Amino acid sequence: MFPDPTEINDGDAADKEDPAESRLSDVAAQEQSLDAEPLSDQEKEQETEETENTERQNNDSTETADGGTEDAAVDHDQSDSGEFVVTVLAKAKLEEQGIGVKGRSSPLLEAGTQECPAFISHRDEDVTGDSWRQHRKHVFVLSEAGKPIYSRYGSEEALSSTMGVMMALVSFVQSGDNIIRSVYSEQHIVVFLQKGPLVLVCVSSSRQSEEQLRGELLYVYYQIISMLTQASISRIFEHKKNYDLRRLLAGSEKILDGLLNLVDSDPSFLLAAIHCLPLASSLRDSLSHILQKAITPNLVFSILVAKNQLLTIVQEKTVIEDTRLEPTDVHLLLNLIGASSAFQAGEIWTPICLPLFNPDCYFYAYISYLDPPECTVCLLLLSTDKEAFYAVAECKRKIEEAMVAQNSLSLIAKAQSYSVSQVGVSDLRHFMYKPFDVPDTYRQLTQFTSPEMEAPYSSEEEKMRLLDLYRFMHSRIHSTSRPLKLIYHVAERETLLAWVTSKFELYTCFSPLVTKACAITAITKLLRWIKKEEDRLFIRYPPKYSTTPNPSKSSRGGKSDQQDSTDNGFLSLL
Amino acid sequence: MPEASKMKKPDVKVVLLGDMNVGKTSLLHRYTERRFKDTISTVGGAFFLKQWGPYNISIWDTAGREQFHGLGSMYCRGASAVILTYDVTNWQSLAELEERFLSLTDTAHHGCIYAVVGNKADLTDSKAQLSQDSDGVSEDQIQEEMTKPQVLSACPTPPASPASLSGMSLNKQVTREDAMAFYGRILRYKGLEEKGSLPAEKMCFETSAKTGYNVDTLFETLFDLVLPSILRNRNENLQSPTVDLEECRGAGSKRARSTCC
Ligand SMILES: Nc1nc2c(ncn2[C@@H]2O[C@H](COP(=O)(O)OP(=O)(O)OP(=O)(O)O)[C@@H](O)[C@H]2O)c(=O)[nH]1
Ligand SMILES: [Mg+2]
Repeated sequence: MFPDPTEINDGDAADKEDPAESRLSDVAAQEQSLDAEPLSDQEKEQETEETENTERQNNDSTETADGGTEDAAVDHDQSDSGEFVVTVLAKAKLEEQGIGVKGRSSPLLEAGTQECPAFISHRDEDVTGDSWRQHRKHVFVLSEAGKPIYSRYGSEEALSSTMGVMMALVSFVQSGDNIIRSVYSEQHIVVFLQKGPLVLVCVSSSRQSEEQLRGELLYVYYQIISMLTQASISRIFEHKKNYDLRRLLAGSEKILDGLLNLVDSDPSFLLAAIHCLPLASSLRDSLSHILQKAITPNLVFSILVAKNQLLTIVQEKTVIEDTRLEPTDVHLLLNLIGASSAFQAGEIWTPICLPLFNPDCYFYAYISYLDPPECTVCLLLLSTDKEAFYAVAECKRKIEEAMVAQNSLSLIAKAQSYSVSQVGVSDLRHFMYKPFDVPDTYRQLTQFTSPEMEAPYSSEEEKMRLLDLYRFMHSRIHSTSRPLKLIYHVAERETLLAWVTSKFELYTCFSPLVTKACAITAITKLLRWIKKEEDRLFIRYPPKYSTTPNPSKSSRGGKSDQQDSTDNGFLSLL
Repeated sequence: MPEASKMKKPDVKVVLLGDMNVGKTSLLHRYTERRFKDTISTVGGAFFLKQWGPYNISIWDTAGREQFHGLGSMYCRGASAVILTYDVTNWQSLAELEERFLSLTDTAHHGCIYAVVGNKADLTDSKAQLSQDSDGVSEDQIQEEMTKPQVLSACPTPPASPASLSGMSLNKQVTREDAMAFYGRILRYKGLEEKGSLPAEKMCFETSAKTGYNVDTLFETLFDLVLPSILRNRNENLQSPTVDLEECRGAGSKRARSTCC
């Protein structure tokens, strides 16, 4: 559909290599400059799967330097994010490549300035003291007309100049019948994603791969779709090219902020899989059974969540035949719950689109906590009928009654994630295991299992460091240019092994002195343990119910009455 | 066990409408939890049940965002009272009530009563700055630090300007008279006689969810006023127990809806 993407790269690396490659060499060239991070010489050896514990010194300096770089980045960003992006782009030597940022951007800059919304400056700049890593990743959303739609951080002025520069780039490259995909500079990657009338931009110093960052931008896009639907966004911009989408998204910034925080801290997004809470299969079955019995016409999904993890999910029969619920849609739902639960006493009824299920159509979500005031167990019921609130709320009553009768809440309260020590493999500190075919039934929800992050990964910093290592391993394994099956990575403070087969994807973290032979034995044991525990670790057989006398109403893209409600009535206000 | 599990059918429905950020959620939270805390912009609508003496009152706290415009009429269906909320420091929020929210009430019960509520009075009126319920005071002080002050909220005493002598400070954009005039237009829109309806003085409130000023008065006045409606519903339910008060009402309301906008 699109002509060849333009790849804009840092000076010397720009010429012939593909993105991943050029980035590698880019970083490799800077090894002495402290922030080379895990991408060192070492990994060339890893690809041979036979790594000695070399390069210690190199790693040592990178890891300590890493924290330092981040601090510096925060200071830098706070001064002026617009300037910051300009600097980043300038560092990428765009002008030398004839991009001419300055000339192109000035009119856009001016256009952006007048229309910055008041709410952006009202936005909480700092959410909960996590400020140390807040600015390592900026995310911007703008319309094709250059109107700012969302910025993760940043003041009004910073926003307008930032968006101005970005639009200048996007439109300049577009004018050459090309699409800008990324810009690399010494410390940052700028990744662009165009989806319909929206342009999403990420400026990252997190050292994640371009593909990973683009995946994260896609989550942001989908979250916007989940609130407005793709159809209505296209219609809005067809109707009015320079429409200010903030009018419709005002108030949703916290949902996007929350999503981006989750993306940074929850590996579910990286793995594109669901993390369910480990539960005795008998308990999970009984919960499923309770959900299965509390139904009403047009109910299509019943989902039970505890501590932000899935307990069980029950689907309408015709729906499950038609398709399955994608992990992304579940992630967006869970994020919505998290972001809308400030006032937890009430029962929420809200339209929501599941973009991968059907990007143009709304479901109506009933959200209610079952254990006030703690509010850890949340029931989510999705209906295709806008008017079904009272019927759906009645289902909740039934579910609540049944759960009281079976003492389910106190059993759920006891359920916990597990400790890696339960696996009984010394030297194993943490792992993430994502099977490709959980049960023998087809089209199961993609899941993964992972123990708690425990010492030495208990602090936020250390958790993040481990996640960054996983992200690095993930990007190497899934490298588009050189995909790998197995990586054995010896780092300073731990040794990691990532392995992809046709059956699973596995990331493991060992203490640093483990030998390769030990690690392999450990993994064998781990796989055996997972096999033994899989009924507890995964949702095995997703139950179904039937609520639709008229199947066309609930199935994907049902053309009946949902279609006219795609805009939720807000289009009439344009 | 939460009382909700033993929920009886709600006797009556009250709906909070108004632009985003005017403080609907905060008002309800102040009334039900006796607290003022930071809120998140509501998604869709949130349903609450309030025990009022022997009666069950359902309250819908709706989202003010345009994104959720289409659901408004669903939340209002069969409502006995609608609280039209604006922010006294924001003229546009009153204008929005007229432009965007009034038509949503077409699906309300024919005997529905309307209250016009100017919230955030603590920002403009000295008498609204005193916290009303003692149990919430200290917490309010803490919460105050956490919520972004709108304009003057950091100011403990009203400025001694001439404006404040008349009980109004400079950032007040909507006067009670404006609100009362709007109330008059609501009656006209509904085709109601001013004489036979509740008077504007009684139905226009200025409140502060932050200090609690007038919040109990607002809700309790309304609950008292919907009592006849409750009794009528109960009677109807006795006569035909299957009648659901949330059910879609006759074509009359639908016709009304399509003629407006
Ligand atoms: N000073 C002051 N601030 C208030 C008052 N009531 C609410 N606020 C603040 O106004 C903001 C919005 O309050 P909400 O209650 O969430 O507004 P809402 O009407 O529910 O908004 P939506 O859910 O988006 O429709 C919050 O920051 C509150 O802290 C008040 O009485 N005085
Ligand atoms: Mg609200």
